[in-house]
Amino acid sequence: MKRRSVEGPEEEKSKRPRSAEVAAPEEAVSAAELGEDLLLEVLKRADARTLGRAACVSRGWRRLAEDERLWEAVCTRDWVKVPCGKQQLRAVVLALGGFRRLHSLYILPFLAPSAALPSPMTGRPHPQQRWGKDEVQLSLSLLSIGFFEKMIPNNNRGGA
Amino acid sequence: MKRERQETVVAAETEDQKGKARMEAEDGGVDELLAALGYKIRSTDMADVAQKLEQLEMAMGSSAAANDDALLSHLASDAVHYNPSDLSTWVDTILSEFNAPSPPLPPPPLSPATLQHHFDLHPAGTEQNSTITTVDIPSGPRCPAEAYHLEPLHAPAVTGRIVNGSDTQSEVSPSSRDRKRMKLCTSPPSSSSTTDAATSPAALPVVVVDTQESGIRLVHALMACAEAVQQDNLKVADALVKQITVLATSQGGAMRKVAGYFAEALARRIYRPQPARNLGGSTLDFAAFDDMLHQHFYESCPYLKFAHFTANQAILEAFAGCRRVHVVDLGMREGLQWPALLQALALRPGGPPSFRLTGIGPPQPDHSDALQEVGWKLAQFADTIRVDFRYRGFVAASLADLEPYMLLGPDAGDIDGEEPEAVAVNSVFELHRLLARQGALEKVLGTIRAMRPRIVTVVEQEANHNGETFLERFTEALHYYSTMFDSLEGGVSAASDAAGSGGRRNQVMSEVYLGRQICNVVACEGAERTERHEALAQWRVRMGRAGFEPVPIGSNAFKQASMLLALFAGGDGYRVEERDGSLTLGWHTRPLITTSAWRITSAAC
Repeated sequence: MKRRSVEGPEEEKSKRPRSAEVAAPEEAVSAAELGEDLLLEVLKRADARTLGRAACVSRGWRRLAEDERLWEAVCTRDWVKVPCGKQQLRAVVLALGGFRRLHSLYILPFLAPSAALPSPMTGRPHPQQRWGKDEVQLSLSLLSIGFFEKMIPNNNRGGA
Repeated sequence: MKRERQETVVAAETEDQKGKARMEAEDGGVDELLAALGYKIRSTDMADVAQKLEQLEMAMGSSAAANDDALLSHLASDAVHYNPSDLSTWVDTILSEFNAPSPPLPPPPLSPATLQHHFDLHPAGTEQNSTITTVDIPSGPRCPAEAYHLEPLHAPAVTGRIVNGSDTQSEVSPSSRDRKRMKLCTSPPSSSSTTDAATSPAALPVVVVDTQESGIRLVHALMACAEAVQQDNLKVADALVKQITVLATSQGGAMRKVAGYFAEALARRIYRPQPARNLGGSTLDFAAFDDMLHQHFYESCPYLKFAHFTANQAILEAFAGCRRVHVVDLGMREGLQWPALLQALALRPGGPPSFRLTGIGPPQPDHSDALQEVGWKLAQFADTIRVDFRYRGFVAASLADLEPYMLLGPDAGDIDGEEPEAVAVNSVFELHRLLARQGALEKVLGTIRAMRPRIVTVVEQEANHNGETFLERFTEALHYYSTMFDSLEGGVSAASDAAGSGGRRNQVMSEVYLGRQICNVVACEGAERTERHEALAQWRVRMGRAGFEPVPIGSNAFKQASMLLALFAGGDGYRVEERDGSLTLGWHTRPLITTSAWRITSAAC
């Protein structure tokens, strides 16, 4: 499935103090008390690698980290221009396997090798290359071909 | 001709360096390549054995020239030789049958195997250099000693090679060697038959391990065989084919496979000069596996993907702003080109148009309706991404059977004041088949033109395999497919989901797929020879004559294609180039396939 990095929740620990500052400057708040919505907000700003690690923490975290909205953000963040309306893009990509799949299979292999390395522990994601519409188009095309190849034609052929 | 030889020398060299590296690694005990043939012989013993084999030949030669048939037939049938795979002792036992080593007489015809053997034993002065000997095999008795020019290579010596360092060798005078080689030159064709009886215990030839030299020889043998076939000199050709097969086993990787396919194709041509049914792409049997092979070829290397992506981009741009579009695919197969186009149309600003697809394919041997199956699958896909999709399949044994009215359909024109549908015609590796029949291409291009398409995308191999003479076609094909096989060696797509073994299977299947093309180019003639590839320049002329003008393919396609190559393991070797508006994908310096786009000449409209 997704990358299973062993480094675990270190990134998350560094996030906790920050969110704790927001919540209550004097008391530290553990991640378990954050509540899903807030956690989701935090993860929305994470990069792909962080999301992958977050999915390794626990079953609950994994459910959250695999949310398509997060991966949509990860994918489209570096696109110079989304080729069409967001709704349109969402509908098509979700139908063809989703953003997480898109990223893992058809975006990651193209990224510069440096992006594959762990980001420095400062927590700031290193700048990824910006993708123009051709690169986007290629990834989406590959996604559609992949989907088509795996598609099992259903034999429910109603009318003509 | 000479320039091509030099190029093939270079190609063979790069191939052989790989083989050499491998051999140098396995010098330890038993010689690896001979072991593959069933002979156990230590590399350290090789010089010895070589010497003894030579003595053996001389002994047999001299006695055969005399009237001592009895000894030879005794050797052949009655004598019991234990463990022939242990070469050194075996040779010893045979030698003991003869009384004494004979003087270096000019020997009678020698088998092809020992022919190679002798070349390697030539005292080259230094042991460390490999030598290239250029040999012209088919020509008659015209081999003066000067015909051999030896150039020491700077490449390091191959350790698996039979080293001629032993002292006794250098005592043999060079002139007698030259004479021997002269004889060897004139007699190879008949040698295989006459010495078969004499050397029946040694049924398998001893393969010399110097891959560099034998690589050159392999290419020469291939060319020589083609020449012989062209001159209808079938006996010579036959002997050469056997030689090629033997030489090919000493190569590694791509060169061996290519040589194997070409040798097989030549053999077919020699043995079945009448139009044979199962060789080309025209029989129904063929179509059965063709799609499966095509699929594997699609996975294992970027050529088809390149073709699809670049053609789709051209079609997409041509369809900009149209609300109703119609694509005609002249070679539907598995329909792998269309999901990407459907997705691109689904995501274009303003939403997708209503999309119609007409797929054309050959009749299937098992009467299954593959075309309809593909259509259903695409319809399901289009439904998933909410694109209005209609499909029609056409079975046609040849594209020339189609008429415009069949393809356009009833609602092609204006409906309720809406604009007429925009038509695109797509052909991937289909047009060249039409060149087999007179007038077929012109008819098809006329049919296409009658549909008033906005764009016609054509993908073809960038090679001229339709030359006037057989030799021309053979030479071209040899270069082209060597390069193709080289690129396949590079590896398997890095992004493919298949496991390692799947990738390997893809590669093997792709080689079979290409092997069929090779067989068709070399072994078939007339209407059977459907793989009549022509280069872009020639297609330009043909399209121009039919009333089409080129449409430049934009930089979007170029960027996508370049990025695509990063996915394939051999990514560095592939090159995308733009040439007068068409895009070519090649391996290193050799362009291999070209995508071009056309529209009806505006003046003619």
